Amino acid sequence: MQYGAGERRRKLAAAVLGRDPSPAPRAPEEVEPYDVVSGHLLDVSPHLIVVETEDGGQRRLVIAPWATAWRGGAVAPADLPVGARVIVRALRSGTVAERIWADITRITGVIREVRGRRDLTIELDCGPHRRERSIVVPYRSSGRIRVRHPKLEPGYLFDSIGLLDQGTSFAHLPATSQPPYRAAAVPPPQVPYGGSEAGISGTAVWADFMDFTGSAAGVTGGVAYPMIEREDTGCGDAGVSCAGLPYLALGSLLHVRNVCDGRADTLPIVACGCLAGRFCDRCLECGTSPRGRIIELAASSYVALGGDLTKGCFNARVGLG
Amino acid sequence: MLSIIAAAALPILVVTLALGGIAKLATVGREASPGALARLGPAVLMPERFAKPAMYACSLAEFALAAGLLVVDHPAARWLPVVFFAVATYVLWDLRRRRPDVGCGCFGDVSDTPVGLRSIGRAAALTAMAVVVGLEEVTGPPAVTTETAPWIGGGVALLLACSPEVDAIVSRLRHRPPCEQRPMPPGRALSRLRASAEWRAHAGSLLMDEPSDMWRELCWRFFVFPARGETEVVFAVHLGGRRPVVRAVVVGADGHVITADERDTASLRESTPVSA
Repeated sequence: MQYGAGERRRKLAAAVLGRDPSPAPRAPEEVEPYDVVSGHLLDVSPHLIVVETEDGGQRRLVIAPWATAWRGGAVAPADLPVGARVIVRALRSGTVAERIWADITRITGVIREVRGRRDLTIELDCGPHRRERSIVVPYRSSGRIRVRHPKLEPGYLFDSIGLLDQGTSFAHLPATSQPPYRAAAVPPPQVPYGGSEAGISGTAVWADFMDFTGSAAGVTGGVAYPMIEREDTGCGDAGVSCAGLPYLALGSLLHVRNVCDGRADTLPIVACGCLAGRFCDRCLECGTSPRGRIIELAASSYVALGGDLTKGCFNARVGLG
Repeated sequence: MLSIIAAAALPILVVTLALGGIAKLATVGREASPGALARLGPAVLMPERFAKPAMYACSLAEFALAAGLLVVDHPAARWLPVVFFAVATYVLWDLRRRRPDVGCGCFGDVSDTPVGLRSIGRAAALTAMAVVVGLEEVTGPPAVTTETAPWIGGGVALLLACSPEVDAIVSRLRHRPPCEQRPMPPGRALSRLRASAEWRAHAGSLLMDEPSDMWRELCWRFFVFPARGETEVVFAVHLGGRRPVVRAVVVGADGHVITADERDTASLRESTPVSA
């Protein structure tokens, strides 16, 4: 699907059904999303950070005295290496950096092969829209990974948060407890006997949208949604979900609200969330979510909605925008 | 007395075995959702790669036992069902202890409610019936008489009361998944569209027979067809109900709706632009 086709679909659907094509306004109890600056680090000092954004522009941000940074662990913002890929959560209309994540990557996929004894090398199948990845679980974090991923065997799912260092992905933290079933054996959703709920609640996770290939390549914002008809999109793995989701299309607008702090935004569906639909886990960030992942957010959208990239998920409520 | 009960129990056993076999075969053959077998009775106790052969073996065994009860006049044909149901009772008991989340799979994927005392009670009741049949040495096609009919009715009522599947079927009938969650192939929506009055009204102006874009949102499926005069016709087909609602609209290249009047006066409008 070409970029902009989603907007056209919304326009045509609104025309034929006679509804308003613009997204619904934010409810009074909902909070504006954070400003997010992402790009490559050009320069950093204890008080100032300069970021080259994706579109080639430069952004200079003051580093707040309480600001923290992550690069494989908590580091001082001034210690970040120049050239790192950073995502900055900013205050005051994007001028004050409050939280910085550098070279962070999300490693989600189906295990194809595991090699090595001390440092493990895992080949992952990341779905039809992302390239296959080869990642390394360094010995010092293998204990942490293994305690949440007991089955490092082909066919099982893998989800961790790691560091991208010189082109190699190193898994650092488990992002979830590994589902006990194989990736091909997703439990069916519970049929909502006795009336359905007004909105859909569940887990919102983030993913590296940088990895997308094909039609969704180059997309930096938006969401990936699992429940999409296979015939429409050519996503052979779509249409699987653990969380009783309604069918939507590429281009549909979703109103996503972080249940934790009320930040909400309306985001378009830009890709199939083939892998997100295969996880049947719950998010344990401020309260327990219902079962199943409902959306995968681009890292910048995830941060804008108040999520912490090292936590891997937040509780979300989703409605059609 | 016992012989009447045995004569009544025989058809119940044969029908139950045959139904169980058919339902299991259908479940394995269909494989509606991947991994469905991983949550059903005997397949859970097997390693994953043996799950399918185990279901096949189980259903074939049930067919064999049913056939044996009908045609073979030998004690083995009457006592093998006793062994089968007794083992099944034990397996269900064990399953309830070891995997409280899985269904018994007695009737394929219909039996996906977790094993409870009712399923175990049903297996025990069937064991008892098989024992009665074995003791009384009844074989052959069952004869329904006025004496056996009440016993047959009672036995069926007992089995139904012990069947959690009945609850599941009733609740499935009463609460179908809402239409936005039901899969629906685009081909069916397209054939519904082609049978509608809206299609006939616009068919003449369409340039192609196949849609240039289609997508689904909740209960609606949208089709876009290029039409004459650099316009497009957008159809929306509702996916619920037997006689679906179809809506159609003609839009210009910029996505704005063109009404019937505008289409008629399109050539006129080009020469005399409207000014305020």
